[in-house]
Amino acid sequence: MKITVKRWHAIAQWQWDTGKTDDNGDAEEDVCGICRIPFEGCCPTCKVPGDDCPLIWGECSHVFHMHCLLKWIGTAASKQQCPMDRRPWGETIAHLSVHTPRNLDRISISSDRREKGRRE
Amino acid sequence: MQMRSHGFPCFVVEIIMAASEALRNQVAAKWQDSFNRLNRTGVGISGLMEFSKAWAVAAEFLRPRDLGAPPKDFNTHEIRSAFDVLMQCRMLPMLLESFVACLDMSICQRICGRNQHLITDDVTRFMTEYDASGDPDVIGRLVLRLADWYFAWAPGGELGQTISSAYIVNFQTHVFSVLPAAFAAGFKRLLAATLALFTEGATPGVPASVQDSRLWPSFELLGLADRYESLIASVCYEHIETHVLETCAGKWDEPMLSRLREWMAEKVVPWMLLPYARGAKTAEEARTMLQGVGSRFDFHVCKTLCDLRTKEMFDIVIDYPDSTHALHDLKECLQRVDQRTQLVRALRKSNKKRLLHPGADTKDILTQYVSLIRCLRVIDPPGVLLFKVADPIRRYLRDRPDTIRCIVASLVVDGESGDSLVDDDEPIQPLQSAQVDDYTDPNWEPEPIDAGPDFRANKPSDVVSTLVSIYDSKDLFVKELQVLLAQRLLAVTDGNYEKERRNLEILKIRFGEAPLQVCEVMLKDMTDSKRIDQHVQSQSSSVMHPTIISRHFWPKFQSSKIQMPGQLHEIQEAYAREFMTFKPDKKLRWLSHLGSIRLEIELQDRTVGADVPPLEAAFIELFSEQDVWTLNDLIARVGTVERSAALKALLAWVDRGVLREETEDVDMQRFRLLERVPEDAGAGPVGITTAGSRTALAEEEPAVLTVQQQQAEQMKVYWKFIEGMLTNLGGLPIDRIQTMLKFAQGYDRTVDQLGAFMDAARREGLVSVKDGIWRLNR
Ligand SMILES: [Zn+2]
Ligand SMILES: [Zn+2]
Ligand SMILES: [Zn+2]
Repeated sequence: MKITVKRWHAIAQWQWDTGKTDDNGDAEEDVCGICRIPFEGCCPTCKVPGDDCPLIWGECSHVFHMHCLLKWIGTAASKQQCPMDRRPWGETIAHLSVHTPRNLDRISISSDRREKGRRE
Repeated sequence: MQMRSHGFPCFVVEIIMAASEALRNQVAAKWQDSFNRLNRTGVGISGLMEFSKAWAVAAEFLRPRDLGAPPKDFNTHEIRSAFDVLMQCRMLPMLLESFVACLDMSICQRICGRNQHLITDDVTRFMTEYDASGDPDVIGRLVLRLADWYFAWAPGGELGQTISSAYIVNFQTHVFSVLPAAFAAGFKRLLAATLALFTEGATPGVPASVQDSRLWPSFELLGLADRYESLIASVCYEHIETHVLETCAGKWDEPMLSRLREWMAEKVVPWMLLPYARGAKTAEEARTMLQGVGSRFDFHVCKTLCDLRTKEMFDIVIDYPDSTHALHDLKECLQRVDQRTQLVRALRKSNKKRLLHPGADTKDILTQYVSLIRCLRVIDPPGVLLFKVADPIRRYLRDRPDTIRCIVASLVVDGESGDSLVDDDEPIQPLQSAQVDDYTDPNWEPEPIDAGPDFRANKPSDVVSTLVSIYDSKDLFVKELQVLLAQRLLAVTDGNYEKERRNLEILKIRFGEAPLQVCEVMLKDMTDSKRIDQHVQSQSSSVMHPTIISRHFWPKFQSSKIQMPGQLHEIQEAYAREFMTFKPDKKLRWLSHLGSIRLEIELQDRTVGADVPPLEAAFIELFSEQDVWTLNDLIARVGTVERSAALKALLAWVDRGVLREETEDVDMQRFRLLERVPEDAGAGPVGITTAGSRTALAEEEPAVLTVQQQQAEQMKVYWKFIEGMLTNLGGLPIDRIQTMLKFAQGYDRTVDQLGAFMDAARREGLVSVKDGIWRLNR
């Protein structure tokens, strides 16, 4: 017997690659430490998840919705610290470096987004 | 004293002699008076003699005689002068009395002295004939005969009004006294025949007497028209009823009321002139006389039609819009006859009996409800009737688990099924909710008087708003819309989502942008998937074209974790790798049990093509490893899968003639690949199968959990609370349970949803309910 797959209409979910290897999507979900919304959802100011509401990785290994973190860092109370562990906030370049430059594009436009977010 | 000279009879004299002087004088005076009256100014007793002769002549003239007897030869002059004499003597009343006495005898017994049967005998003869035949013609002939008697005995009009009217009264009285009880029934039939002559024309069956022009004048002469006035009216009422039922029952597509009124004017009114405009001299006079009775009959037409339409209303609603004319008729009738209460009662009763029962489809109930909304809008634009009739339907629908799903399905344009609840010509508009009275509205009107206290005049008026308002919140609709959209999007394989996009735009107008934001994301996922696939295919072509979804924006899916074996797994891996190259910060998680796969299977003697669900593909892929598998081993290889689902998938291959079941015992179900069509295979489905001949997808359970299922899942969390409170407090009404559950964190269900859940728990035997009190079963 020879089986040939002619066409496959499949269904998949996308997930942020947070570096964790658990493939059990139904387990305890990863949520943003600031807004408590799952990473695959979007931050409270956004309406569309995914590329339009990306994540940001800290040197401290904490991950947030980028918009949530930028908003937090923008407050005086933040003292530029990670809201989870109060260590000085720094974005991990290491994580970004394994990715394509497009991510950098996204970071660069993120300040525009922040402006936009404030206006809203 | 003069009296002796006048020769009084002896006994008078004796009486007078015996009496006292005073009495004697009194009687004498009276006698003198009488004498003077009779004798007048005659010489001696010549006046008295003249009177006697006149009396004899007049009495003989008036004496009733048999119809067959030869007419008596009277000298008109002689009679005239005789009556003159009697008049001068003021003896006419006496003559009349005598005449009446004689008349009485003639009618009721025998004509004075002669042994002839007159009126009584005639009446008896005719009535016997009528009893035997039931023919109203007999009654007609009897009436004409009685009229003959009347004329035969009537004193000439020249004798003065007094005599004539005395004659009429006495003749009528005596005729009535001899008519038997059965006459009324016969007379009614005769009247009905006269009316039928007007409404149906001179058909061959019409009795001759009915067409006799003397008939109605005879009724008048004999006083029948007055005596049987209510009978005449009831004949007309009954005729109207029969006519309305015959012409209007089930006839809803034409304006019948105006036609009935034409019929009344053309056919019935000419007949009505006979009994009701008797003696009218001019048309104007006749019209005035008919006014009152005409209005009564018009009312009866309206009432009869109103009764009929009320009885037919449920089917009129079914037939809408073909039955529009019936609705306009009913509206007009209801303005004349106040039977709104009856209409409400009848509709509620037939709805309960024919609609609101477990055997009816929710879809049908909704269709009828929508039709009802439209029908009652025609009859009663303010919506009071609808409010009263709809209430039980709405309550019933609220308790049905699939109501929202049905409503939502009808909101989504399919393009194919034409039985949408919503008319195409109905404008798409935002949902309206009940508002408080707006007194600044120039069109504001006070609420109709029969509106109850709960009635709100500005209830939502468009159909969709009305349906959505069955529920307190529209959230459930949005959830259901999401489920429906998900099912439809996942079923799209040709990449064309335009229809769904259009649907969503329409729904956004109705429900608002914000609640449907998740649906926006779903559609975006579809277009994103298409773009991603184009990129992936350009890098490394694949047979796989996945829909990649944002999980939090889609309804929950049936959870199932199957592992795709062999080349299927490789295809998944290859695609996922390519995806990660394109989107490095993301990865894919396959929902392997969803979707569909088109396979081509080359066997030794044939090729089989099929579009199959993933589980079927996974199983057949495993058969490329070995020819024989037990069910248990197959299940173990794909991971978690229901035994029944696995069996169903395998049997699909058996149906295609690719596998054969080889089962020795039930616990060890085995399947074998058929590389060749076995010799013993009959004309079964084994053989060359054309691609896609069997799309198992159609039978597949919907992948997306319904809102109901999702809620049931969530509701289970609260079962512990409910169990606890029922254990501690015994029985509780639903409202109490609801109140107490509100203390539980995150509980946001309506009491209706709780009710549905409790009902489900009851079906599982966990609880029971009696008189509204829920208890645990122990
Ligand atoms: Zn966040
Ligand atoms: Zn965001
Ligand atoms: Zn941190």
